[in-house]
Amino acid sequence: MTDLTLSPMDQPLPAAPRSYWGWVGVRLFRPLLVRLCTAYLVLLVLLALFVPLLANGRPYTCIIPAVAGRAAQREYPLFRDLNSEDWILLVVAAGLAAQGISILAAHRLPRRQRMVRQRMSLMLLTAVVLVISSLIAVLHHNRLDATNYHRLARHGIITQAIFPPVPWGYAEMEPLGKNLINQLPSRRHWLGTDGDGRDELSRLLWGARIAMGVGFVSQIIALALGIIVGALTGYFGGVFDIIGMRLVEIVEAVPLLYLILIFVAIYGRHILDIMVIIGVTGWTGYARLLRAEFLRIRNLDYVLAARGAGMPLWRVLFKHMLPNGVTPVLVSAGFGLAGAVTIEASLSYLGVGVQPPTASWGAMLNAAGNPATVFRWWQALGPGLLIFLTVLAFNLIAESLRDAIDPTTMGRS
Amino acid sequence: MTTYIIRRLLLMIPTLLGMTFMLFAVVRFAPGLTTAGGQYSAGVMQSRQAQKQEQEIMERRLHLVDKNGRPISLPMQYILWLKSTCEGHLGTSIVYQEPVLTLIEQRLPVTLTINAIAMAVIYLVSIPGGLLTALYQGRLLDRGYGFMSLALYSLPVIWVGSTLLGFLANPQYFNWFPSAGLHATNTENMTYFRYLGDYFYHIVLPIVCLVYSGFAFLSKQIRGSILENLQQDYVRTARAKGLPKSTVLLRHVFRNSLLNLITLTGMSLPGLLSGSVIVEQIFSINGMGRLAYSSTLASDLPVIQDLALIMGVLTLLSYLAVDICYHIADPRVTYD
Repeated sequence: MTDLTLSPMDQPLPAAPRSYWGWVGVRLFRPLLVRLCTAYLVLLVLLALFVPLLANGRPYTCIIPAVAGRAAQREYPLFRDLNSEDWILLVVAAGLAAQGISILAAHRLPRRQRMVRQRMSLMLLTAVVLVISSLIAVLHHNRLDATNYHRLARHGIITQAIFPPVPWGYAEMEPLGKNLINQLPSRRHWLGTDGDGRDELSRLLWGARIAMGVGFVSQIIALALGIIVGALTGYFGGVFDIIGMRLVEIVEAVPLLYLILIFVAIYGRHILDIMVIIGVTGWTGYARLLRAEFLRIRNLDYVLAARGAGMPLWRVLFKHMLPNGVTPVLVSAGFGLAGAVTIEASLSYLGVGVQPPTASWGAMLNAAGNPATVFRWWQALGPGLLIFLTVLAFNLIAESLRDAIDPTTMGRS
Repeated sequence: MTTYIIRRLLLMIPTLLGMTFMLFAVVRFAPGLTTAGGQYSAGVMQSRQAQKQEQEIMERRLHLVDKNGRPISLPMQYILWLKSTCEGHLGTSIVYQEPVLTLIEQRLPVTLTINAIAMAVIYLVSIPGGLLTALYQGRLLDRGYGFMSLALYSLPVIWVGSTLLGFLANPQYFNWFPSAGLHATNTENMTYFRYLGDYFYHIVLPIVCLVYSGFAFLSKQIRGSILENLQQDYVRTARAKGLPKSTVLLRHVFRNSLLNLITLTGMSLPGLLSGSVIVEQIFSINGMGRLAYSSTLASDLPVIQDLALIMGVLTLLSYLAVDICYHIADPRVTYD
């Protein structure tokens, strides 16, 4: 269908000149499978950000009856009881959405104006998100509300309660003694309950937050370390190279899981610890790749020109060289994300990952029972499948990114 | 070549120093180190006196205090530890009350045999797989195999392992395989072949878990190197002089592509020794991985330190060995 509002002059040229990244993007997202994987991962990220609003034991809103001289009033238990990390993630989500809108809004502007606009909005939004997050972290007090709203609603004490789609929290246990543990799927619990009487579906959804959080944060740490070491060793060579590569060897020589186990056993099992540990043990591959790229790039004409023009070092390194050498690192980061999700799940499975009652897919697999005696496979199916799909999605995207940037197939697009 | 080897060996010194320093620092700055000893005295209730004595022995072993019970400064601790390690006096386990070397001697053969078998299976599948996918590049076979092996690679071993164990080694469902260990309990009455059969019967499930994720990487590498070799001039020459396609492929291309295997095999040697923590844990196999895991859980610091150190040294050596082997197999490759 032709767009009649466009004059012939405005119509795109048959072979519209694209930037390198635009071209890689087009090639990357051409296969249907890659689009499906991306959609799935976007969904997981959204889930990780918004899961408290989707799977929670408290109603969005309800009317609390008149008690002891206080009039009946409408309350918002779910929002009142969100803790600071939930709020911070919601603020981050809002920031991401705002950035997305500003990118879309600047879509039609000329390139230069667009870049300026986007950079401004990115800086502004980052600042706003940081300020609000730190305010939340300092000022917000987490509440511990053990009220059983289901019961109150059932007995008609609170009225007009609107529960989230999955009306169970990840740590909310069914009362003991009612034989509600290890249940098969039912209307009350769509995927059944685990050994502590907690809703499986809710825990699966909350597990996405742990998996995605550990995956992305750890790989961002690893990328930062790897890019710094790789850039410096590749650009300067000499003493930098010798020291940097020894650092890489030191970390690489010890088997990865041994190293992670040592760190985890000694420095703690908080989720932030796990993120940092996976990050600081996983940067060596990125450093190696970037070093090789920088060794190749550093004598190219445009780098010499940039240096000759007297640009500051960081600008030469990160503005001119990095964009041209970062693609293999990005491919590797895709596999790294998959690896980080696997490692987190494995650690939780072994019992040295995030601690209960936090919902992690690995811990849920472990809780599906001692395989040799009682094995409740329906409890293992959900988390296993989710880990599998997540890892597969990251791997598939990484592989098609590799194909998309592969110069030997460039002509064939 | 000799100068190259010497240079590599010299470069290994700072790496090893750095590694020992990292392991020392990680373990020494661990919270609660000095109280770690003494709690694990073989589960026997002890008098205060005995506990204290044991604590002192522990501290002396870890070079925390000298012979007279005076505390040693941190740098000195490091130097002393380094010295005794270089002399070959590896630590003594707190939990097992045995030298680390003995523990490794017990567990290394277990891990090594299982992993060697697993690796053989991986190669047996991946080499033909890589060859076929390279020949049928871009066709259904190539794509299907690529996707399947990537999917297998993505399957989490914790899920596969526990599900296999839960279904196939479980009286609840199918009790086909043993659920733990490597041997039946009555091995002393068995003939040699019965014994071997029993062993293979026990390792079927662990091998499956170790094997399935390995196909993707190896086949992809082999496929890549075959495709690369197919574009070389010597292939055209061989075809031009009238050699049949199959000869060119098997005699020239395939053999040249196998050179890459040296690197890949060398890189996977350390993994062969360190074992898979998860598989060994799921199937209760007392190998190196399980040793590392259980001693980390019990804060058995000497074991952790020495295991990591030994693995590190072996890894560095195997990297060097790879380079040397590559040079021997392909004299065109020089490092000078």
